[in-house]
Amino acid sequence: MAGNFWQSSHYQQWILDKQDLVRERQLDLQILSEEEYQKIGIFFSNFIQILGEQLKLKQQVIATATVYFKRFYARNSLKCIDPLLLSPTCVFLASKVEEFGVISNSRLITTCQTVCMYLFYFIVLCCILHFFVVKNKLNYAYTQEFPYRTNHILECEFYLLENLDCCLIVFQPYRPLLQLVQDIGQHEDQLLALAWRVVNDSLRTDLSLLYPPYQIAIGCLQIACVIMQKDLKSWFAELNVDIDKIQEISRYIINLFELWKSYDEKKDIQGLLNKMPKPKLQPTR
Amino acid sequence: MQKYEKLDKIGEGTYGTVFKAKNRETLEIVALKRVRLDDDDEGVPSSALREICLLKELKHKNIVRLYDVLHSDKKLVLVFEHCDQDLKKYFDSLNGEIDPNVVKSFMYQLLRGLAFCHSHNVLHRDLKPQNLLINKNGELKLADFGLARAFGIPVKCYSAEVVTLWYRPPDVLFGAKLYTTSIDMWSAGCIFAELANAGRPLFPGSDVDDQLKRIFKLLGTPTDETWPNMTTLPDFKPMPMYQPNMTLVQVVPKSTTKMRDLLQRLLVCNPSHRISAEQAMSHIYFADINLLPK
Repeated sequence: MAGNFWQSSHYQQWILDKQDLVRERQLDLQILSEEEYQKIGIFFSNFIQILGEQLKLKQQVIATATVYFKRFYARNSLKCIDPLLLSPTCVFLASKVEEFGVISNSRLITTCQTVCMYLFYFIVLCCILHFFVVKNKLNYAYTQEFPYRTNHILECEFYLLENLDCCLIVFQPYRPLLQLVQDIGQHEDQLLALAWRVVNDSLRTDLSLLYPPYQIAIGCLQIACVIMQKDLKSWFAELNVDIDKIQEISRYIINLFELWKSYDEKKDIQGLLNKMPKPKLQPTR
Repeated sequence: MQKYEKLDKIGEGTYGTVFKAKNRETLEIVALKRVRLDDDDEGVPSSALREICLLKELKHKNIVRLYDVLHSDKKLVLVFEHCDQDLKKYFDSLNGEIDPNVVKSFMYQLLRGLAFCHSHNVLHRDLKPQNLLINKNGELKLADFGLARAFGIPVKCYSAEVVTLWYRPPDVLFGAKLYTTSIDMWSAGCIFAELANAGRPLFPGSDVDDQLKRIFKLLGTPTDETWPNMTTLPDFKPMPMYQPNMTLVQVVPKSTTKMRDLLQRLLVCNPSHRISAEQAMSHIYFADINLLPK
């Protein structure tokens, strides 16, 4: 459903302001620094990304799952639910929602047939992910096996649904980005590819909680132009947007790039995950 | 769940039982739809998720409101605005007579709800009198966005009840998989005729074949000229060449010329020639529309 953004629950309920976000995170920020909090966020966004790619989900679905994850922790402490459980739950819910979210989608018939096997497969995948597939990417983070099972995900799905206030339709910057690049001109494949990747990167920031997707698309496009040293100043000037907002968005992304430069995830993440506030009860199997 | 006092059972929905209930604080009457979760590997069923997320976005006076979603131990309960009856039950109470102003008012509201859905790129895909709710104020609301229809229209729903073919357009009966808003416009046409006839269904087919024959007997079998891509549809099979030998006035005897003109624009076999909800609303038939606040 790509309806009217301004009438959507996304716009009306889920564009938050910065102060709100800081306030809601206070509990976690007593234990973690803002940068540490962001690094944990990045780690789980990566986890969602890899999980989605393994399941051959479209980037749109992965992005939606990431936004669910962000929205949940925008209202809850990390202590509330282990993000290691919430991440696959977000992917699970998003894949169900996005599958029927658009008008014509024939691809899904096959998914429908496998839907009963889906969750089982899903759990197996989480386990495999933990052990083999991302051996080189994530296994430095956890030394134990994946501790959750079907019943945990199903229970968590309820909880997630409630915390999202059932707002499941998420607008993403990808579609506006396509339109913008089309408007620039015919042969802009390279620019599109790069800007698309910047949008993917933007999922590792708080942007999706703070700005409408079309603004994020413009911000990401601007960054891509800078990287490619492409001068589109006059084109940008003609867009009817609040330039200050676009600059704020660019700032977020540049900050992310800077964080990445100085950050060795492999080295740091184990310590961060140990430090992360956790639920009192650990899962029993 | 303590918030609501369960009253009587209203019916069996696509994925669970529907109850009438009273909010203990506000005394407001609501409809509770319990979602079964017995297919436990799927979690919350896609059909319920579809209904939840669509209704969360579609807020309109001609679309049933979803007030709340409750979670209580492994159950999901959707709390809906309650309407007194559906159009089917309303028909049953008519004894074959209906006020033309009521026909016009209901039809206009149906189109207005549809136009809103369509402007949000949402198709209903299963319009029928049972899915149109009516309240005491003469307001009509689209309901039941529940079937997991993005996977193709199912022949059976969970309760093994056969989904009716009566409101399906010929393209869907021929197996078309790419649905557009035109699917709802056909159903709206069928419902329009049924309204005008005080509840007598227009094409009460018994199976796909019979359904198509009934349609073509009234409208004439489409040809390559009237519907170029028909023969390429997945389940296309050649049908007898009926000439349109009945006129709409025979089928909808109490109709006016303007009414039949609109009906004719809705009941077009070739989906690309069907009128849109928006256009239908500005049809001359509605020039003197007077919505009924009873």
